[in-house]
Amino acid sequence: MTLKLTRRATLKGMLAGTAAFATIGLLPAWAQQKGGTLTVGLTYEIDTMNVYSTGFLGDAQAAVVEGLLAPDKDAKYVPVLATEVPTIENGGIVVSEDGKTMKITYKLRPGVTWHDGKPFTSADVKYTWEAVKDEKFIAESKDGSAEVASIDTPDELTAVVNYNTILPTFASTLFTFGIFPKHLLEGTDLNTSSYNETPVGTGPFKVTEFQRGQYVVTERYDGYWKKAENGDALPYLDKLIFKMIPDTNTLITQLKSGEVNLVVQTPYSQAKQVEGIDDIELIKGPLLSWQHLDFNFKRPSLADIAVRKAIAAGIDRNVLIKAQGGFPEAIKSPVVPVFEFYDPNTPEVAYDPAAAAKLLDDAGYVVGADGIRAKGDEKLSYTFMVQAGRADDELAQQVIIAQLKAIGIEATADNKTGVAYREARYNGGYDLIYGRWITSADPVYSVFWGTGGANNGQSYSNPTLDAAFQKFENTLDPAVRKDAAIEFQKILAEELPTISLTTNVALIAKTKKLKNFVPNPTNMTNFVDTAAWYME
Amino acid sequence: MSLGYIVRRLLGAIPLLFGISLILFTIVHLAPGGPLDVYVDNPSVSKEALDQIAKAYGLDQPVPVQYVLWLKSMLVGDWGYSIRTGRPVLSEIVLRLGPTMELGGLALLLSLLIAIPLGIISASRRGSKLDGTLTLVSFAGISTPVFWLALLLQLLFSVHLGWLPSAGYKSIGDGSFPDRLAHIVMPAAVLSLATIASWSRFIRSGMVDVLNQDYIRTAYAKGRGERGVVFFHALRNALIPAVTVIAVDFGTVISGAVITETVFAWPGIGRLFMESMDGRDYPMLMGLMMMGSVGIIVANIVADLTYAALDPRIRYG
Repeated sequence: MTLKLTRRATLKGMLAGTAAFATIGLLPAWAQQKGGTLTVGLTYEIDTMNVYSTGFLGDAQAAVVEGLLAPDKDAKYVPVLATEVPTIENGGIVVSEDGKTMKITYKLRPGVTWHDGKPFTSADVKYTWEAVKDEKFIAESKDGSAEVASIDTPDELTAVVNYNTILPTFASTLFTFGIFPKHLLEGTDLNTSSYNETPVGTGPFKVTEFQRGQYVVTERYDGYWKKAENGDALPYLDKLIFKMIPDTNTLITQLKSGEVNLVVQTPYSQAKQVEGIDDIELIKGPLLSWQHLDFNFKRPSLADIAVRKAIAAGIDRNVLIKAQGGFPEAIKSPVVPVFEFYDPNTPEVAYDPAAAAKLLDDAGYVVGADGIRAKGDEKLSYTFMVQAGRADDELAQQVIIAQLKAIGIEATADNKTGVAYREARYNGGYDLIYGRWITSADPVYSVFWGTGGANNGQSYSNPTLDAAFQKFENTLDPAVRKDAAIEFQKILAEELPTISLTTNVALIAKTKKLKNFVPNPTNMTNFVDTAAWYME
Repeated sequence: MSLGYIVRRLLGAIPLLFGISLILFTIVHLAPGGPLDVYVDNPSVSKEALDQIAKAYGLDQPVPVQYVLWLKSMLVGDWGYSIRTGRPVLSEIVLRLGPTMELGGLALLLSLLIAIPLGIISASRRGSKLDGTLTLVSFAGISTPVFWLALLLQLLFSVHLGWLPSAGYKSIGDGSFPDRLAHIVMPAAVLSLATIASWSRFIRSGMVDVLNQDYIRTAYAKGRGERGVVFFHALRNALIPAVTVIAVDFGTVISGAVITETVFAWPGIGRLFMESMDGRDYPMLMGLMMMGSVGIIVANIVADLTYAALDPRIRYG
């Protein structure tokens, strides 16, 4: 909130200043300056520039390729190539009379051109769906393509998407990732196309050089459609360069030597070093991922709410946070606080090992000779799985094991990787599981705890919760969704099929000269709004 | 040294390569994790989508079947497609081979040019203060971790002095000879350090052995000066054990390149290996390791041939 206010205030101040100077014909050098090169250091090697097939979040891609909508800094959708976000109120979404299907009409922005100068039209939108849906195209982001029945293009600037179902999360799928240029790609093989290295988009920057394993150079696209509020042509920067530097020590060295000016994924362990560099500032941005401890309901004692509540009271999040360098933040709901659907009044089980012990005593779990509680044959001794090889997760696991031991519960690490881990997670091959989920800006939670949800390996089923999810995920009315969100967060916090532990922050190291940079928590990355960035 | 010998050695390498490929394939698949692990935190990548990707790359087949399929296509010259980038393995490797050859070649050249004189000086001044100092420096060189030295050099030359770029292959929009030279100096120095240190030790001990031989005394007796004895009579004989070490070290240079290239963001084979290992890119890993194996086998054959060139008493036929 403070960030927003100060930013707006600063901007206003600047605009006023500019206007004042402009009247006497002197534009100050410190206003939004055109020009300059920003060099970004990425810790991974860009595999492909195609937003639908990259295995990473599309950082460089977001500066080049645009979608119809994009999530902003508050994880809310804003129009990009569309002129508005379709809603029921503005007539963009029309639900069929039987309530089973919907029709979304996108009004497209006029005057948008591809980097080769050709106009962007509704035919490109239709082609994007056809290309992504095509079975021959290997991609992991085909979300939302199967739910589309057909697309009508009554004119060049209108695309009517006919869905075969109600899909409230439509904004976080297909057309938000990016639009393909039909005139360049139709009839080509997208798996091998040169588009994967030098994509032609509508974004503020165009790719001029792609050197595999080295860098991607993007340059200002002079025909970019967007203008700044004060009428300035955007983008301000001349060049945006993405360098691929796999070694994080080297990355920090490059920040020190000025060869790199922006790193969006500073490892927690390097934060101290970055703080000491002149001209570089470290800012924190929220992320949509969170860590959680889940239970397998096939174990009778874990199906007992008293045990789950005791475990929740037995875990000290502060220790978990310290074990991870002090950077993650404590949470009580899987809906992370960035979201407007987050309910700050969600009940919380406070850390209180004495209360935990009492809960277990009252429920009849008696401490045995070995210090482990049991009730009849059911001993509170569990297998505990995290993904093997993830240092942070294994560390958190050890912390939790120690804390559970203090309240008389034994957990034994049973870690797996690869296929074995995935199978175990889907099929409930664990008693306790600690892991991490990342959602899009338009999250769906029934996949985790809904009855039969795709990621529900816990055998958890709660009809009341299902009903709340159903309402949240199949309604387009924001007020109804908000109520449903409050309801399911309350149920989750009281029934505890999952304990939401911590959420993450992105440590962004940037040159102090870079202005207008606003962290974006979503999977659309920080590079979704590069047009407004400028160098002082 | 005949052509027949070379052909026989190459033919002999074929069953060896089969064995190597089987072992490598097994080890690569034994390592925990898999290529689809990158999607593990993302709930919107459904099990169905993962199954579909697995099917597209044949990952749904049992490992022995995968091996047979891989071998079959390899035999007809199809190296397969990288799971990470979706591009053909062979063209990815060819793209990365150039920078590695430049870096490895320069490092090899530096190593030879420095290690041989150092070894000779040490041996011919055995027991002197100079020899002691060189011995100490060599052991320091052998024991220095590559990544640590790289970090120190980067801090000194890039951050404090600002003379050299800290990493990368060339400057964007440049790539002239001086620019590329500035980029290659540090990685080549780091990559050659360990080999300079160990090779100079081998050359020194080889020289020491040879200098105690009767024929050296004879050479002195017939009135030859020290320089003539050392370079004409001793060096050739002392080089034979060193050649073995250098050939065996070919593998070390490759594995050293993995770290050096990663630290210096050098777009070569070693770095590609690292990225492929992280992503469990099986086809790419197999392609890289098979190429490395061929390289080591060839280096050994070249070493054997070099013996014959250095010592006329050694004959293959």
